[in-house]
Amino acid sequence: MGKITYKKLKGSQNMRQRLLLATLKSTPILIEDIHADDTLPGLRPHEISLLYLFEKLTDDCLVEINETGTKLKYRPGIIVGGSNLLHDCGLTRAIGYFLEPLILLGLFARKPLAIILKGITNDSKDPSVDTFRSTTFPMLKHFGVPSEGLKLEIKSRGVSPHGGGEVHLAVPTVQHLTATMWTDEGMVKRIRGEAFTTRVSPQLGNEMIYAARGIFNNLLPDVYIASDYRKRLEAGSGNSPGYGISLVAETTSGCCISADTTISYTRGNEAEDIEGEDKKELIPASDVGEKIASVLLEEIEKGGVVDSTHQGLLFLLCALCPKDVSKVRVGKLSPYGIETLRQIKDLLDVQFVIKPDPSTGTVILKCWGSGMKNLSRKTT
Amino acid sequence: MAMDSGTGEQSHRAHRSRHSGASAKKKAKDKNKNQNSDQKQQNPKAFAFRSNAKAKRLQSRAVEKEQRRLHLPVMDRSYGELPPFVVVVQGPPQVGKSLLIKTLVKHYTKHNVPEVRGPITIVSGKQRRLQFVECPNDINGMIDAAKFADLALLLIDGSYGFEMETFEFLNILQVHGFPKVMGVLTHLDKFKDVKKLKKTKQRLKHRFWTEIYDGAKLFYLSGLIHGKYPKREIHNLARFISVMKFPPLSWRISHPYILIDRLEDVTPPERVQMNNKCDRNVTLYGYLRGCNLKKGTKVHIAGVGDFSLAGVTGLSDPCPLPSAAKKKGLRDKEKLFYAPMSGLGDLLYDKDAVYININDHLVQYSKVDEMGGTTHKGNKWDVGEALVKSLQNIKNPIDEKLEKSKISLFSQNPSNSLDAEGLKTDSDEAPKLIRDIEPLEQYQSDGKDDDSDFDEGSADSDLDDSKSSDQDEGVQEDSMQNTEGRNFERNADASELLAQVMEQVEFHSGRKRRKAIFGDGVDHSNLKGTDEENEGDKYDDHDEDNDDESTEGTESCSGSEFSDGDNEDLKSDEDGMGNISKWRASLVERASKKQNINLMQLVYGKSAATSNASVNEVRDDSENEESDGDEFFKPKGQKAKNLKEGSDGENTDTEDCSKSTSFSELKNWKEEEVYESVRDRFTTGDWSKGALRNQMSEARTEEEDDKDGDFEDVETGDKFGSHKEDDDAIEERRLKKLALRTKFDSHYDGSEAPEAETDIQHGGKFHRSQENDSGYYDKLKEEIELQKQINIAELEDLDETTRLEIEGFRTGMYIRLEVHDVPFEMIEYFDPCHPILVGGIGLGEENVGYMQTRLKRHRWHKKVLKTRDPIIVSIGWRRYQTTPVYAIEDQNGRHRMLKYTPEHMHCLAMFWGPLAPPKTGVLAVQSLSNNQAGFRIIATACILEFNHAARIVKKIKLVGHPCKIFKKTALVKDMFTSDLEVARFEGAAIRTVSGIRGQVKKAAKEEIGNLPKKGGQPREGIARCTFEDRILMSDIVFLRAWTQVEVPQFYNPLTTSLQPREKTWQGMKTVAELRREHNLAVPVNKDSLYKPIERKPRKFNPLVIPKALQADLPFESKPKNIPHRKRPLLEDRRAVVMEPHERKVHALVQHLQLIRNDKMKKRKLKEEQKRKEVEAQRAKDEQVLRKRRREERQERYREQDKLKKKMRRHAEG
Repeated sequence: MGKITYKKLKGSQNMRQRLLLATLKSTPILIEDIHADDTLPGLRPHEISLLYLFEKLTDDCLVEINETGTKLKYRPGIIVGGSNLLHDCGLTRAIGYFLEPLILLGLFARKPLAIILKGITNDSKDPSVDTFRSTTFPMLKHFGVPSEGLKLEIKSRGVSPHGGGEVHLAVPTVQHLTATMWTDEGMVKRIRGEAFTTRVSPQLGNEMIYAARGIFNNLLPDVYIASDYRKRLEAGSGNSPGYGISLVAETTSGCCISADTTISYTRGNEAEDIEGEDKKELIPASDVGEKIASVLLEEIEKGGVVDSTHQGLLFLLCALCPKDVSKVRVGKLSPYGIETLRQIKDLLDVQFVIKPDPSTGTVILKCWGSGMKNLSRKTT
Repeated sequence: MAMDSGTGEQSHRAHRSRHSGASAKKKAKDKNKNQNSDQKQQNPKAFAFRSNAKAKRLQSRAVEKEQRRLHLPVMDRSYGELPPFVVVVQGPPQVGKSLLIKTLVKHYTKHNVPEVRGPITIVSGKQRRLQFVECPNDINGMIDAAKFADLALLLIDGSYGFEMETFEFLNILQVHGFPKVMGVLTHLDKFKDVKKLKKTKQRLKHRFWTEIYDGAKLFYLSGLIHGKYPKREIHNLARFISVMKFPPLSWRISHPYILIDRLEDVTPPERVQMNNKCDRNVTLYGYLRGCNLKKGTKVHIAGVGDFSLAGVTGLSDPCPLPSAAKKKGLRDKEKLFYAPMSGLGDLLYDKDAVYININDHLVQYSKVDEMGGTTHKGNKWDVGEALVKSLQNIKNPIDEKLEKSKISLFSQNPSNSLDAEGLKTDSDEAPKLIRDIEPLEQYQSDGKDDDSDFDEGSADSDLDDSKSSDQDEGVQEDSMQNTEGRNFERNADASELLAQVMEQVEFHSGRKRRKAIFGDGVDHSNLKGTDEENEGDKYDDHDEDNDDESTEGTESCSGSEFSDGDNEDLKSDEDGMGNISKWRASLVERASKKQNINLMQLVYGKSAATSNASVNEVRDDSENEESDGDEFFKPKGQKAKNLKEGSDGENTDTEDCSKSTSFSELKNWKEEEVYESVRDRFTTGDWSKGALRNQMSEARTEEEDDKDGDFEDVETGDKFGSHKEDDDAIEERRLKKLALRTKFDSHYDGSEAPEAETDIQHGGKFHRSQENDSGYYDKLKEEIELQKQINIAELEDLDETTRLEIEGFRTGMYIRLEVHDVPFEMIEYFDPCHPILVGGIGLGEENVGYMQTRLKRHRWHKKVLKTRDPIIVSIGWRRYQTTPVYAIEDQNGRHRMLKYTPEHMHCLAMFWGPLAPPKTGVLAVQSLSNNQAGFRIIATACILEFNHAARIVKKIKLVGHPCKIFKKTALVKDMFTSDLEVARFEGAAIRTVSGIRGQVKKAAKEEIGNLPKKGGQPREGIARCTFEDRILMSDIVFLRAWTQVEVPQFYNPLTTSLQPREKTWQGMKTVAELRREHNLAVPVNKDSLYKPIERKPRKFNPLVIPKALQADLPFESKPKNIPHRKRPLLEDRRAVVMEPHERKVHALVQHLQLIRNDKMKKRKLKEEQKRKEVEAQRAKDEQVLRKRRREERQERYREQDKLKKKMRRHAEG
């Protein structure tokens, strides 16, 4: 019926936010020149997988991709959600890549979302599922999301290259978020974490924990890092060996600052795979522990109520609030955060006031929410 | 009213209480009541509660009632000045609507309004403005009026009684969020009889109460005095209006909307000349209401359609509140009201021209006066006068000036876009001349007193307006200067354009400032000259403003040497005024602001680049997919050309990672000085420092910016920075106090809290009860109030430009919307009497889809509604025609289609149209015509949810016949048409008429049933079914199933503003209407008609027992051959002989019976006679009566005939 006006965008950058914001605002978008100049042009497998995921969660959405995959037309539908959903995230990106938009979509769905995601649970590129559980979920609480329905269960851990992980995610629905004034970063009162190993010796995990504690011991006594060692397939290990650690620093004001990493054999390019797997040496576990602890300390040094990884999500949440002022403090703006701010401005028409706070080296952002409401929820 | 002035010793007449009449009775009754209550208190035990359970129940009921009275507190997000409240005056024709508005306006402003056209804004009090609108008499106008009314005055002709319009309007109001309503009874002077008048008032009042609520205000206007309503009564009415509180309505507080009080066509005239029917560009003016309006919002113009805004500008308030405006002598009197469409405020609006009203005594045409005028009455100049003077004073013809200006323009900034703009403005100079008068007028008034607020509207907010100021200068100064100044103006504008800054106006210390962010340095050297020349001139102030900007610009770009000079200039100027410190402060502030913008610029890039991107949209036809395909395969270069926006040459395909940690550049955290540096961020560190870290940055963010950045003037920055910090701190403290106070208020005494305004109707008792149970409700209220205070505090410390950017235009602002490509009919058929409503479209509301609503047919509408008959619905701002499918939800959650709406029940209605959020009210009408007698509102509804697919089903019954029967299996034909269909229904339950149940198994193989005829394909669609028993060939097999019903994807927006208003909009017709038009009968299926059922008595054959069986039977069971008897039995034939005594008794009985029979016969006869007599009498009476009646009737007819003849004679005469 009639004409549909597509908003024209370019390039594959920030595909997640673009799709997410377009769906929430129900604006049809047209993305052009997706990896147009690459040797393998077109959409990447994980992007296609993301589109499938969006299609699963929404009702009557339209996705059209041209033959080369460099042009994508997306007309969003109504976010339905629902339980008993299953999605295979593929092996190119970790589940963390999908979780970020998924959580926000789930909040504004018609029915509470319960979905099983399969693929790589821990990855060095994306935040691990442990981080989501320990950091992202408490963050949502600041925006009025009830913590009862929010659940993430790790059934099995999978790392690249072969994955095999499985998580069960449950997200409740909200009528609307609540604006927050979240500028008090507080002081770090404890550090928690989780180290995992799959299909390798548990000794590696212990080494990581020991090394990380060694760094923190100078600063804080309250450090506890849990271990999660999965050796066999039955115990929930994935298909590939690997190990990793996720740390979270909790402050007195309830902020969570996290850092995580995973060490496993990289998938590499297809071409390399064909040649045969010449296994590169992995970083030793004790180094990993030390480094990740340093990363966490650096995040703490930067300040802000969230770490640099969660900046994008924080801004999105602020922008999706009702028409009230939200104020948050973050450390140095991460490139991803900046990109998110741009996407928000572009698609949601919400602009942030960004003020540096030189005494602490942090940045204070203020915005006037877009007034997003969950329209798909049925009234009785 | 008439108070005695001063003399207190004068004796007053004592009050004489009434001894008879209504009031005396009332008093007596009251007295009685009091006595009764006194008696009650004399024996309190007698009335104490006895039952514990009962008391508990009563208590819980009281609590429940209280809870029910509570409304969920709603957050009112309008922070600025409130827009004028809209008072819609509605009523049937000829009831005195315009007269009421006229008298009210007269009451408030002491001005006579010649005619009421369009909204009239007046200032009614110190804090309150009102906007009177007359509701048009057609249903479209009523619907629109209900959407913007804050208060509806329902005018009712008392002598006639209620009319349907009133009830229709009430219903419309109810659906679109019930605003305040007050009834006004007019034409009460038609009653001669006082008693009758009283009775009528009483009756009407009670009818009104049943419709709204008991105690709803109904106002009486008794008659006219000199063609106006009595002053006293109008005064009272005005008092009622002035104390009225307006509760927030949920739809309106979530959508911006504007009631247009001025509309102008700004299409370039040559385009109109070329094609009279080309799409027009229009500008719409009005107060912004509801919620804030962002720049990118799409709007719906009621009766026209959806449009994206080409431009939004905030203008100065044409009718400001007296507290806000400065006293400027005579002009204040005129500013009390504003109604451009009615021809008030010096502009008379006509269809294709605008006339200017000038009072004669204000016009003086002599040229000598001009010199004097500038000196002593500069601010008293009238618009018309200015115009005339401008015409007198012109030295160079306008085309010459234009030529000059253009040349200089090119030499300075050879910008293409500017050139185009210039051309454009040149071309439409003539028609705009008149439009620009308003800003010009403000110029005049403001020009004299320096440092006064420069009105935004006049402030060359866009090119048009800037031009007006050009003209103004042309009037005032000699031509050379004029052109220069004009160049300067242009220049400033040009530089703005270059930097691609949406011009924004900020107020600073009472002065207008336009902030401009320059992309590159523009040569301003020529400006200085003009500036100096103009010194001491009238326009000094203005130029200086611009210079300020230029200084800012240059400072920011290059810091060139002449900026200093300019500053000197300014200083010397302002020395006279004595506000250097202010100026300094402003400079510092601006510098700090620049800092923020720098960081924001880093993120958002140049402000234009992003806005450009949002404009760049492609129109795409969803139906025409082939054309898309073409677009998919365009050469690469071409595509690149299309996409100019790009993203600053960055790689657009960067990977989408939220994590950006790298292990490479990590500090060595094992070293002591490294880890000690973050010690304070841990609880093991210094707590006070950690706490300080949070506090400091809260208060001092702005000040810190100054120190940190590359601000050259560090010294002054410091000096003023510290000072400013104090201010900030004070402000902060003040706000905190305010928040605390409100918190306290809401906690303890609701009656004093500001939010108590919203629920004024809840009495004091309610508040008292609230105190003890400060529950959820109070907490909610408190939260909302706190959030509001936070919002205000956070928004206050932003500068005007950023604030506009992030929160949009605030409610209460007078704004100008520019809309492009509006159909020309809107202008052609524009009628100021029909107010135009422009509503903002919320998130996702421009999309179309299916909506599910809960609908109830209106009980006054006579017919039920039929599925798929088009109805016109009004949802949100929109009105459109759509075809609903009615349904009802079954026990198992299935939505079953209904052919017609239920009589007195809600049902579901599913229809296609632009989506609206759940809980929005829906109003349905079918006919828009005015001459319809009945009630036009057919149904009301409420949106439940929206969907992209309609899930409504209806019953379907597949009928088949067996074609071959095996034992319990049968082949059934005619039920399905193909084997595929059979496959779809495998396992489905079936049933025969006789009740034998079965199941569909599979499509039948090639068997006798479906053998091909003459070597063709075997017949398809024969199903093998099994039953619980063997069926007969005569049986009919049924399959009962459900099938999806399609809801038509049809909606047709009502374009009532695009046609003459008196014409009735005609959309899709209902089937019934079409049949009526074409004289078609309703098709009837003969088989469906009911016929009398004929049931033949069933004849059963005699039971025949086979011989073989008979032979086997035992003797008793065997049928026996008994021959038929000829004679009756002896018992029947014998005689009875009685005894003598018996005979006697028998005879006696017979005699007695005889006597009784005779008596009865006699009585019957007597009765018969009596009845006959009575009947005769009655007949006689009847005849007499009939005769009398006939006579009476004859008399009456004769009189009527006479009257009619008289009337006819009158009419002819």
